[in-house]
Amino acid sequence: MLVVTDLVKRYGTVQALDGFSLNVAAGEIVGLVGHNGAGKTTFVEIVSGLIRPDSGHVTIDGRAPSATRGQVGVAPQHIALYPSVTVREHLELYGRLAGLRPVALRAAIDDLAGILRLSDIMDRRTGKLSGGQQRRTQAATALVHRPALLLLDEPTAGADLETRQAMLDVVKQRAGEGAAVVYTTHYLPELTELQATIAVAQNGRVIARGTYEELAKDLPGEVRVVLEDEEEIVLSTTEPTAALMELLGRLDRTISSVEVRHPSLDDLYNSLAVHHVS
Amino acid sequence: MSVDTALIDTPPRTGGTFDALYRIAAVARHNTIIRLRDPGQAISYIVMPMVLMLVLKPLYVRAVDGGATQVSTGLMVMFSVFAISLAGNAILSERTWRTWDRLRVSKAASAELLLGKILPIFVIMVVQQSVLLIYGVLVIGLPVPGAPHYVLLAIVIWAFALLSLGALLAAIVRSHGELSVICDVGALTISSLGGALVPLSIMPEWAQTTAYVSPGYWALTLMQAAVRGDLAGMLPSAGVLLVLGLLAGAFAARRLARGWGRGGLI
Repeated sequence: MLVVTDLVKRYGTVQALDGFSLNVAAGEIVGLVGHNGAGKTTFVEIVSGLIRPDSGHVTIDGRAPSATRGQVGVAPQHIALYPSVTVREHLELYGRLAGLRPVALRAAIDDLAGILRLSDIMDRRTGKLSGGQQRRTQAATALVHRPALLLLDEPTAGADLETRQAMLDVVKQRAGEGAAVVYTTHYLPELTELQATIAVAQNGRVIARGTYEELAKDLPGEVRVVLEDEEEIVLSTTEPTAALMELLGRLDRTISSVEVRHPSLDDLYNSLAVHHVS
Repeated sequence: MSVDTALIDTPPRTGGTFDALYRIAAVARHNTIIRLRDPGQAISYIVMPMVLMLVLKPLYVRAVDGGATQVSTGLMVMFSVFAISLAGNAILSERTWRTWDRLRVSKAASAELLLGKILPIFVIMVVQQSVLLIYGVLVIGLPVPGAPHYVLLAIVIWAFALLSLGALLAAIVRSHGELSVICDVGALTISSLGGALVPLSIMPEWAQTTAYVSPGYWALTLMQAAVRGDLAGMLPSAGVLLVLGLLAGAFAARRLARGWGRGGLI
């Protein structure tokens, strides 16, 4: 569905993208992760057709971004809504711009209102909504026309639990229906819940790609056991669960608390950065 | 590496004329909603000239022949110039709200988006001018136009030129403050230099000579010819304003097609 090859983009002295390549198949969710400045948003803007790369190729379903408008749904990182306009009116605008006629539009809006938990606020102006409600509204505007490619740039940044769950539900639903999804985030648990493939961006290029298990298999996690006399045992291991079980079998003292920490995104970035540099 | 520029530059496949009209209507409907929820500016541009016409009429009638025509058409032109500000703010707000790029990602071409944004203001302007014209006839003593359709045509041409200028300004200014300064100073300059505020015949010679550079001059000439029912007299002014509107509109559409990037307002 989405084929991105060797994108290069420079803003003055800043190299935003430096050979960025990424393919996303129909029905696949790719979690694009990376520190700020890794090039995620520039990638989204180029694929959306908002800016042009200095070089490289982008095709969506075999065509250039400018030729596939309407097949792409974009929810940018920042909130971009009309404060004096209601949620319903937003969805009507974006649905009509995608060519939805009244009957189909009403059905699409009702469907989204349900899954994104917007039903109670459909006739409220977005300027009066909470941050989480605005996030869900913004996502709905990107989804209303059932695009074949979804670009969600940190859709849950600063969002509450309800918003986060609603967002994950709708992304899973759309991917299940065959949409290709690029989902940028800083929250690893979201990607594991989405069963997403992870692409790690750094310095304007994708430096690793795979499932979380594949990428993190050699990274040490941590087992922290606190005993009743406050003595602490810390193990660093690539198999934290197995190590914990083995430790529990050996210990004959009362345990106060146990903590198992699996490798985090930061661990992943740091490990990949070392490998990439070396 | 090469850029797939041929493909990137290809205009979007936007379907037929009906689809384009449907999208323009969607944007126009949306912007009408926004306008209706914040009508203060439009109302003030209708009420203020009504008050001024009433107050200034005795002065104009004593100063020049056809004073009632001068004060009515002059103030119609002067307060229509503020439509630049309406159009400019409507477009610049898309930058403040960061919504323009959301629209650019849609199937709509930038010209469609621009048309949809401007249409409600165009209607407001036509309504404003029509209300002022009727008020001028009923209250101020403006002669009843012999050919009302000429007057309507003049209003439409002038509105087109003004709104294109507003779009152009919105595309190049960096803030609402900048837009406000340019619109306020520009509106007064355009209208006063064009003879909308003070009749050209009693203005200094240098002002009479430079009046031609002001769109306000051409608008006033157009409006007065239309009120007289003088189609031939309308043509030069209509030509100048149409060319001005086309140039400004084309530049604005081209500039807005690129968006504003990530830069916020200053």
